Amino acid sequence: MSRARLQQLGVDLPLFPTTSVGSFPKPDYLVKARSDFNKGKITALQLEELERKATAFWIAKQEELGIDVLVDGEMYRGDMVAYFAERLPGFTTSGVVRSYGNRYYHKPIVTGEVRWTKPITVDWYKYAQSLTNKPVKGMLTGPYTVMDWSFNEYYPDRKATCMALAGVIRKEVEALVAAGCKIIQIDEPALSVRPEELRIAIEAMRIVTDGLNAYFITHACYGAFEYIYPGMLEMPVQNFDLEMSNSDLHMIELFRSKPFTKDISFGVVDVHSHVIEDVATVRKRVERALSILPKEQVWVDPDCGLKTRTVEEAIEKLRACVAAARAFRN
Amino acid sequence: MALILSSAGSYPRIGDSPELQVLRRTIAAVDRGERTPADLSDAEAEMTRRAIEEQVRSSIELLTDGLIRWYDPISHLAGKLSNIQIKGLLRFFDTNTYFRQPVLSGCPARTGPLVVDEFLLATNALGSMPTPDGKAGRLGIKPVLTGPYTLAKFSITEDGSMRSLEARVTAYAEALAAEIRALADVGALFIQIDEPAIIKFPQDWDVFSLALNALAIVRQDTGRNGKPVKIELCVYFHDCAPLYEKLADLPVDVLGLDFTYNARLVDVVSLAGAPMPLALGLVDGRNTKLEDVSTVARQVEKLLPRIAGGVTYLSTSCGLEYLPRDHAFAKLQLLARIQAAVEGQRARVAERPA
Repeated sequence: MSRARLQQLGVDLPLFPTTSVGSFPKPDYLVKARSDFNKGKITALQLEELERKATAFWIAKQEELGIDVLVDGEMYRGDMVAYFAERLPGFTTSGVVRSYGNRYYHKPIVTGEVRWTKPITVDWYKYAQSLTNKPVKGMLTGPYTVMDWSFNEYYPDRKATCMALAGVIRKEVEALVAAGCKIIQIDEPALSVRPEELRIAIEAMRIVTDGLNAYFITHACYGAFEYIYPGMLEMPVQNFDLEMSNSDLHMIELFRSKPFTKDISFGVVDVHSHVIEDVATVRKRVERALSILPKEQVWVDPDCGLKTRTVEEAIEKLRACVAAARAFRN
Repeated sequence: MALILSSAGSYPRIGDSPELQVLRRTIAAVDRGERTPADLSDAEAEMTRRAIEEQVRSSIELLTDGLIRWYDPISHLAGKLSNIQIKGLLRFFDTNTYFRQPVLSGCPARTGPLVVDEFLLATNALGSMPTPDGKAGRLGIKPVLTGPYTLAKFSITEDGSMRSLEARVTAYAEALAAEIRALADVGALFIQIDEPAIIKFPQDWDVFSLALNALAIVRQDTGRNGKPVKIELCVYFHDCAPLYEKLADLPVDVLGLDFTYNARLVDVVSLAGAPMPLALGLVDGRNTKLEDVSTVARQVEKLLPRIAGGVTYLSTSCGLEYLPRDHAFAKLQLLARIQAAVEGQRARVAERPA
């Protein structure tokens, strides 16, 4: 489907390319360092040194496992929205709110005009890419999700907030493209929360990606996709990265009713379970994908970011993904 | 017409200072095997006490326990019923929060209390606090239950007999009916039933209203047995204007409405009138921005003459767990300022010479 675009970009991938959604668990020394930094016990430079060490670990680990399209693992990020909000004028950091269970995050507040003043992720992209010859994805959070997961005290409504953020995020995408990044993932996990606003999310993504020379992926998860499918296929990206395993592959039936027309990064391992899926289980999930999708469209990856797993669990889940993908290639 | 401040349900279980992190830290320690379930209960009790104390301090009269012990609004109740396994995570409406989905392997049934113990603990906590001046006999805890339709809508089934939505709603309604009886038995006077899903899926109205009718019958039974209890139905997280007239026709004692999804809902309600007391969710429980007191007070004044029953409740649009703690507390205090503004205006009108 979008192989031509990848080839035009000079990216040659095998069938069933393997990748991951973005985040990996932080090693214990980095968890401690982040805590120490927050208490003023170490400097930003000392923390960054450890973040680079952890990034190098995950790049090497992905290469060792045989992953095809790498991520930097987001060792320098906490929350996927707050990370950007903390670096964009116009946002204020709030106190913590609960996400689920015992997980909390600082939900940002839009208190002024949001502006892009300098690249946010480009140095990390360059560093990660310098460690490998395999392609590393640029990793951003999309405007609709940043809007939905922030409080708004400035813009008149949700659409105005979203469009303003789209202009800001486009500048970051342009900076990544200028730095040589060829595969850029723009996460929109909030995509399905208000089906009546799908057009806003699509329009915002168009502002972000229009006319830029890269292969774009968007990731969405844990939503009610039955209310936005097939309309969501109008998102101006080449690849949808979807959580499939957590919901027992229920979305397959949606795709049967109306063909899935983009590449898909098909989530084959559950990131919220300590259980490591065996290769046979993962292969069965890929087989289900192939029952309705051409093999050229299918990428293989976990459901979502692996940061809530232990390092060992994350590695074993990735290993299962790679083993299953290789079995199908053969 | 009395204007009473009411809590809408949840309250933050965490704050920024170390003493407000006790529950989070204890859960993590229990997960690591370093603390016991008894320690967890203590931490939950402490954060519940703080949630109640902040409501009392904000002049709220109809309080909740803040739902501090709830993992989420679905699995906390469904997980205590038989024939249910709690499984994967799903996003809860358009909140960036998640619930664990119940999977039914048979007909769910109540085998023990769902929130009775929590209600009793909260009532004891409230009783152990000093009562503010002028509030004696006016403060009470309102237990909260997620309604049968919303529970059923967010459940899936592996059992053929539960395949239909109606079967699931009926089963949950029976379980909740038993819980309402149990709550009435231990002294609950007011029970909040949350049904956010119905305004998002109005096509299921018939199934939903059947279940509500079943709960209303239980309420009549408890009343006949000398245990009167009022039922407040709360809908939120979507525009309730299209369903307003049907909602106002339901056999409940109070109807709680989220006014934040449609700026015209005040006009809709004002025009149609309300045959029962309303809980006015005019203050946004999902955004940090503080509403203008006089603007909301004018909305209340517009609505009050159109509401029957001699009492109106003023609350936030939904539970406050979606806000950071300092903002949640500020919203509660805002309710008190709006109440004062409305009462001040009414006093001025009453003093005017005829």
